[in-house]
Amino acid sequence: MITDRSTAVLAHGLGGSTDLPIPLSYALIGAAWALTFTFAVVALAWRRPRFDPDRPGRPLPRWVTTLVDAPATRWAVAIAALAFAVWVMVAGFVGPQDEDNPLPGVFYVLLWVGLVALSLVFGPVWRAISPVRTVHRLLGRRSLGLPYPERAGYWPAAAGLFAFVWLELASPDPGSLGAIKIWLFAYFIVTLAGALCCGDRWCARADPFEVYSVVASPLSPLRSNRDGRIAIGNPFDHLPTLPVRAGTLGVLAVLLGSTAFDSFSASPGWRGFVDAHTHSPATATLLRTAGLLVFAAVVGGTFWLAARTTGGVDARRRRELPGLMAHSLIPIVIGYVFAHYLTYLVERGQQTIFLLLGLHDAQVHYVLSMHPPVLASIKVGCVVAGHIAAVIAAHDKALRLSPASGRCPQPAVYQLTGQLAMMLVMVGYTFTGLYLLFGG
Amino acid sequence: MTTSRTLAILTAAALITAGCGGSTSSDNASGNTPSSQPSTIGPSDMPNDQAPPPRLLVDVTIKDGKVTPANEQLKAGVKEQIIIRINSDAADELHVHSTPDHTFKVEAKPMQSFQFTVDVPGKVDVELHKLNQIIATIQVQ
Repeated sequence: MITDRSTAVLAHGLGGSTDLPIPLSYALIGAAWALTFTFAVVALAWRRPRFDPDRPGRPLPRWVTTLVDAPATRWAVAIAALAFAVWVMVAGFVGPQDEDNPLPGVFYVLLWVGLVALSLVFGPVWRAISPVRTVHRLLGRRSLGLPYPERAGYWPAAAGLFAFVWLELASPDPGSLGAIKIWLFAYFIVTLAGALCCGDRWCARADPFEVYSVVASPLSPLRSNRDGRIAIGNPFDHLPTLPVRAGTLGVLAVLLGSTAFDSFSASPGWRGFVDAHTHSPATATLLRTAGLLVFAAVVGGTFWLAARTTGGVDARRRRELPGLMAHSLIPIVIGYVFAHYLTYLVERGQQTIFLLLGLHDAQVHYVLSMHPPVLASIKVGCVVAGHIAAVIAAHDKALRLSPASGRCPQPAVYQLTGQLAMMLVMVGYTFTGLYLLFGG
Repeated sequence: MTTSRTLAILTAAALITAGCGGSTSSDNASGNTPSSQPSTIGPSDMPNDQAPPPRLLVDVTIKDGKVTPANEQLKAGVKEQIIIRINSDAADELHVHSTPDHTFKVEAKPMQSFQFTVDVPGKVDVELHKLNQIIATIQVQ
């Protein structure tokens, strides 16, 4: 019984145990609530659109805006974030090259999940803390002034996000420090080169973390009004402000599909299938990559089809529908990400910070893992709350898009059939999500 | 299409529930000693014996690069003794992905026992590192 810590491989990139499945009763209760609420909203809720992205939030005192927008504050935050990134990279290179290295924890937990939590509270924070933007600014914001290809939209970011989830879920050894360093190096070079060619717009459209942050940010109560004042407002008013570009739906599909695939790929059925049909790490990686692609494609494809079947619009509008409805997917994505990664954020987050500070003996508080019923309730709560918010947002947007919205309320039956496909797809996502949390 | 998808999910959920009962009984086949058998038989089979079992024993054979059992689903209690007994024809490393992780050296010889407990509830993968094969996932609760 010799324990040799230096060679432990890190399953899932981080090692350690994963969450227990939620009990069946929790999944069923969650599913029942989601289903009931969906049809209650569609059949009984308001018939005129209520949420307006142009409605200003309640402004906070002026000094808040002054403080937040002050160049000194911006520089201080940006430099602090850059220093943190440099510190992590130094630790990644000179620190112990085993599971005591904080780099994988910072990469998979603090960056991937922590960024969403920060964006949910403060808005699109990556714009302020992005190390690439800071380096670019330190270089005098030089750029060749090439135009960013508008047709590319968010697709480069979707590809970057896919590259991240590929490393975590499909690559042969997600915990490999070398692989993470190569990934980060490629990310840094591509993003900085893009910024040097096309300016800040490259960061805004093609930096996967910035786009992830922007996708999560409309759910934040904080926003800036049109006049620049920082305000508190209803996230439902804010949700439709998600920029509709080529690839918006692609980004959301990668995020939701990959989280679902994360649950699915831990199931014994899938593991047995991979073991039976592959004979080398390379083929296993190919099979997992295909699985990941299929999950993202199914999410994107079903949502695209469902959005296009929304009733009461003309042909031109119909083509725009998947983009116009995409924001309603955000709460489902964020709810599911939290259901899935909350223990990671809270428990591995502590562990990562202790490793960064060199406190190897510090006690991690397993506040969630030690109380499985509480954890299961939180997970189901996140999924169901995300679902309900998504249904409300989709319902309201469908009313706004319908040509009848300005004149007279739609009859309930018409409203129901017009939104049926979208509601069923959302119920499908939520049921699948709960099923994976229960069985995966 | 979406309706059938929803139905499919519900049906799948029902099947999986049924599947849980099935997989627990198949645990017996993985070679538990008689003393630990109550842990692997559903409560309905033995209504009088629901006391938590003292330990979980998993017998593992590694032969010609093949591992039995593989991707097994097992259950254990928090702080319960878990013993992995390995007959191997090759050296390897046994990784227990609990919190914190455990690592054991496996030698090419029969009847090696590795013992550990898990203090934090969760799903724990027991993995052979060189063969890159998961022996079992233990639900510790």
